[in-house]
Amino acid sequence: MANIQDGVVQREHILATTELKKAVANKARYLQTLAAAIQEQDDRLVYQLIDGERYSKEIMQAKHGTSDERNEQLVADISDKLSQYLSGNLIAYLRETYPFFYFEQIGLGQFQFYFGNWWDRRLFGTLDILKVQFDFNQTEYKKLELAFQLEEQKKRLNSDKIAAISQQTDQLQALIDAQNSRDKEKEQVRLQLKKLAQDKVLPWEASKAKEAKQKLVERLSLLTDQDEKAQQAYKIIRESEEKVLALSKEDTLIGYEKQSIVAKFGSFANFTACNESLYRNYIADLIATKGRVKIDG
Amino acid sequence: MAEDYKQKTVTFTPKEIDNLKPSPAIRESAATLSTTGRLLAYNQELKDSLNNGLYFTHLLDQLVQTGEPQTLFAAAQKLINYQLDNSYLVFPQQYSRADFYLIFLNRLLELHNSEQVILQSSDRNHELYHEFPGINTHGYFVFQLEKGSPDGAYYTEKNSGEILFYLNFRKNIVRFNSRSVVKLLLVDYLKELEPEAIKGFEVYLLNLGRYLKEDYGFDVDFNLLDPSNSAVYELANPQLPHSTIDQLFVMAANGGRMLKVGEDNEAILNLDKQTIVTLVDKSRSDHTAISEWIIRVNDGESRVAWFDILLQYQFIREWYLDNLADLEVRSDLLYFN
Repeated sequence: MANIQDGVVQREHILATTELKKAVANKARYLQTLAAAIQEQDDRLVYQLIDGERYSKEIMQAKHGTSDERNEQLVADISDKLSQYLSGNLIAYLRETYPFFYFEQIGLGQFQFYFGNWWDRRLFGTLDILKVQFDFNQTEYKKLELAFQLEEQKKRLNSDKIAAISQQTDQLQALIDAQNSRDKEKEQVRLQLKKLAQDKVLPWEASKAKEAKQKLVERLSLLTDQDEKAQQAYKIIRESEEKVLALSKEDTLIGYEKQSIVAKFGSFANFTACNESLYRNYIADLIATKGRVKIDG
Repeated sequence: MAEDYKQKTVTFTPKEIDNLKPSPAIRESAATLSTTGRLLAYNQELKDSLNNGLYFTHLLDQLVQTGEPQTLFAAAQKLINYQLDNSYLVFPQQYSRADFYLIFLNRLLELHNSEQVILQSSDRNHELYHEFPGINTHGYFVFQLEKGSPDGAYYTEKNSGEILFYLNFRKNIVRFNSRSVVKLLLVDYLKELEPEAIKGFEVYLLNLGRYLKEDYGFDVDFNLLDPSNSAVYELANPQLPHSTIDQLFVMAANGGRMLKVGEDNEAILNLDKQTIVTLVDKSRSDHTAISEWIIRVNDGESRVAWFDILLQYQFIREWYLDNLADLEVRSDLLYFN
């Protein structure tokens, strides 16, 4: 029994050894291939190695990849170093394809980008280097999207808001400008009230007189209300000016963004399409240039 | 700060004999002197006074005729302090000290063959004044003497009271005043005159400063007239509100120009191929906490000053005037407030 048992154990151990050796060799081969790809600056191969599934699907149009995802886990803890390495060529490529994005490194393998090189340009998102995709700041992106939609109505993003504020400002200004005529009218109403009080009223006209007095009092209180509003109007107008400036500035920023996109892509739709196929386009570019180093200098 | 510029060319009338007060020396010694002695002393005083007058004419000759810059300067320096009259001798017809300043400037320009300004004589005000071709009757320029110092004077447009610069012959300094230069040239004159005329006047002011600097080593603060690329235009409020620059951004965009941002968050406005206006927050490069915005103008040849930009570009001028409380270029506080 013991012998038979020993024999089974031995055989199993041999099998286990073979299996493990194969598995380790597989991983070693994976890492060696990756090391060689990096050595040769073959970014295309690096991309294939770190996400075989996606590579097969998008580039080879295959349903299933031949790669082993578990190998890819081996480099999970050095993704920042991988990103940093891959960023060189990728950002050089993006600078050409998206000349209006300005990239700024914020950590090892981490990049954010601004839209444009103008005053107070917007921080537009971060770059996922391993996935070759833009993670747009959704608030900013949606404003841009909306601005393109509003183009059909020949409006800018904040046109309506600015128009509303301007209208309010005009009304307030009119209120301020009418101070003189209000003062005159108040004087008249007061005189009329005084006259009413002094006039002798015949009994059958009493209710009529009361009504007239009531009207005058109401008019007077309306006028003094307007006076009060006019008093506050200066402050509100000043605040409105600040609001309009902020809105105009945003419109100007987005106007520049739209111009940049149209100049390079023709339309917002083309721009979005290009973003969606960025991975494919970039790998295709790497194949076309055969991993030629494109980093300037 | 300055004495009333209405001060006339001093015209003395001969005084009555009994108004003449004998000098202390004579009074003291009068009792002890013989009649002959007193006459001799009196005669000596007259001789001294005449010599004093004669020396004055010698200086005036130099001021009006010399071809030597140093001689001219020395003569002017002495004349603005000259005590011509004394109790023995009074000259009824005289030019004022302020007039000598004006004459000096004309002579200085003449020595540089660029006498653009015309020295006029006002019979009504009994004084000399400068008239500038192109500005013509819109400008009546005189010097206002500084109170308490005979060596300093303010070059002033008399009708508006705007003081363009301060000049001091003892401290050897010139200080331009941005507030008045802007008010007079870019607000008042621009409503009535062609920009070319204003530009001509600017060049004249600039030349005055240059000649004083080159010939006599004056320390000249050209302020916003300084065309040097290294010129730093300091702002009245260095902690410029962000919205002020936003405003320029929007105004520039409306005029078809883009206000760009630089690596240190400076605002950059390219006006033509060569001219660039930059708003810089110096605290960024100095690593200080409180922001300190300044304006620079770069044009490759150091020929364009901030003033020229304000003159040429309406939207920048509007922006500057709208935000004057923040943007006004700082003038020397010792002489202007």
